[in-house]
Amino acid sequence: MGDIMTDKVVYLSSQWRDQVFQRLRSELSPEKMKFITTSVTFNYSNCPNGKDRYLYFKCEEGSITDVIVDEGDPPGAEFTITGSYDLFAQITQGMIKSHRALMSGKLRLKGNMVKALKLASLADRLNAIMAQIPTNY
Amino acid sequence: MSTMPTHDPYFIDFPGRVSQIQKSMANEKIDCYLGSRLRTISWVADAFCPWRSYIVIPAEGIPTVFTFVIDAARVADDSWLDEDHVLGYAPLGGMDQITLISDFIKDDLNVKPGRIGIESGMSNYLPEGNITQFEYEGFKSALSDCELVNAHYIIDRLSLIKDEGTINRFREASRIVDVGHKAVKDALANGGWKGMTETEIAGIAALAMRRAGSVWEWSFTGGNEIASGYRTGLAGGACTPASTREILYGEPLMVDIHAMFRLALGDHAHNYLIGSATDRQLWHANNFIDIVSLTLKTYKAGISPVSLGEQMMDFAEQRGFAEYMVPGFEHGIGMLGDEWRIGLNEGPFPFWTDPEHTYQENEVLICAMQYACPDDSIGFRYENPIVIKKDKCEVLSKIPLKVEVIE
Repeated sequence: MGDIMTDKVVYLSSQWRDQVFQRLRSELSPEKMKFITTSVTFNYSNCPNGKDRYLYFKCEEGSITDVIVDEGDPPGAEFTITGSYDLFAQITQGMIKSHRALMSGKLRLKGNMVKALKLASLADRLNAIMAQIPTNY
Repeated sequence: MSTMPTHDPYFIDFPGRVSQIQKSMANEKIDCYLGSRLRTISWVADAFCPWRSYIVIPAEGIPTVFTFVIDAARVADDSWLDEDHVLGYAPLGGMDQITLISDFIKDDLNVKPGRIGIESGMSNYLPEGNITQFEYEGFKSALSDCELVNAHYIIDRLSLIKDEGTINRFREASRIVDVGHKAVKDALANGGWKGMTETEIAGIAALAMRRAGSVWEWSFTGGNEIASGYRTGLAGGACTPASTREILYGEPLMVDIHAMFRLALGDHAHNYLIGSATDRQLWHANNFIDIVSLTLKTYKAGISPVSLGEQMMDFAEQRGFAEYMVPGFEHGIGMLGDEWRIGLNEGPFPFWTDPEHTYQENEVLICAMQYACPDDSIGFRYENPIVIKKDKCEVLSKIPLKVEVIE
């Protein structure tokens, strides 16, 4: 579902997912990811097709081993972050900081907050890489 | 996460405590216990939680503490609970205390619907931690399938009689307090009191007790309570945060210091007359010593606060000093957060000491007395943790009972 005119991929499409996976694998070393093992699901509400979707990441000993974009029930994850499609799109484009979205209650986190704090900077690295993907939102 | 071998003198079987709570919950058909009182969190989690905290005890399995995120890792480090059972709340989406705990109860414990035990009531003790009206309404709304029922009595009942590990912790806290008293006495001696203030005495005691292993002068009454001169004899008074008042020749001095060891609380008051003593001052002092001695001899299993009080006030009346006695001879004590009330909430005044409470073996309380004569600007205080035994009591602070005249 790539965009031929602009060579962009559509946000949350399978092409976008593939690019995310490739870039995260190549640009995030286990050292940079502090050899962590964790998983996180982003639940998107009100996607453009009117449905909900999720984006799931799995990281094992610092390597991204799985990225899933789908509808329905996501796999169990250590952390779940829920918000609207529009909000996540703005965060991915760097228009809103995820920290601000959490502080204002627009994003809802579920999971061990102390562990989440430890991972916050890693999540920012992940987000910065995703932001580099030419994307149509 | 902290672990302690079973042969450690301060060992407490916390999983056993949780099982006892869960048995009581089952009897009361309670699916989940949401504790908010400091006494409950101390008694179950064995960690000092200075920020607003909660403990969720499931019908089976390990409890989870919820505390302010800035302190959660430290609480997990101190507690026997691991980091997955000490969670932090914060002002972030999904992480505020009402949402976080409600989601945990619904989604992780699967209590939907169910009966949830809460801790409601009132207290004269500010850090008690009963659920607030706002919290109650918030949980009630977020857990709309659940019934919230007041269940504080479960913890109150189970925590009444102290086990050996708890009593040993109290013994150690009292030993530390005695170290503080010795440091104060040494500092006052040989004219050392000259120019000294109440706050300075509080600090001398604090330093000595911290060196000896205390982690906090735990009392909410200003830490160590020091009073001199007229402040010792304030009418009906038994609370004297240290002031910057200077110690003066010919005046009484009351040193009431507090240490905390593994959440057990030391609390002992010792009294002085500075420089010299008049006959009138010594008369007051002897009255005080005599009634404290008689009270300590009288404490044992089977008596009650009211029976002891009547007996002691009769003695004071016979001796002619009843008007100077604050008519109370005890206050409750337990692990941090458990202060003042004796017994269960069964007395004529809700959440106050039950005057008819029958003391049982291995209850711990503070033998407490205040003698105050405002007209003579003199007063004395006695406080000492005691363990109730079958025919006597064990006095935990060992400083000899006397009013000392410091030259």
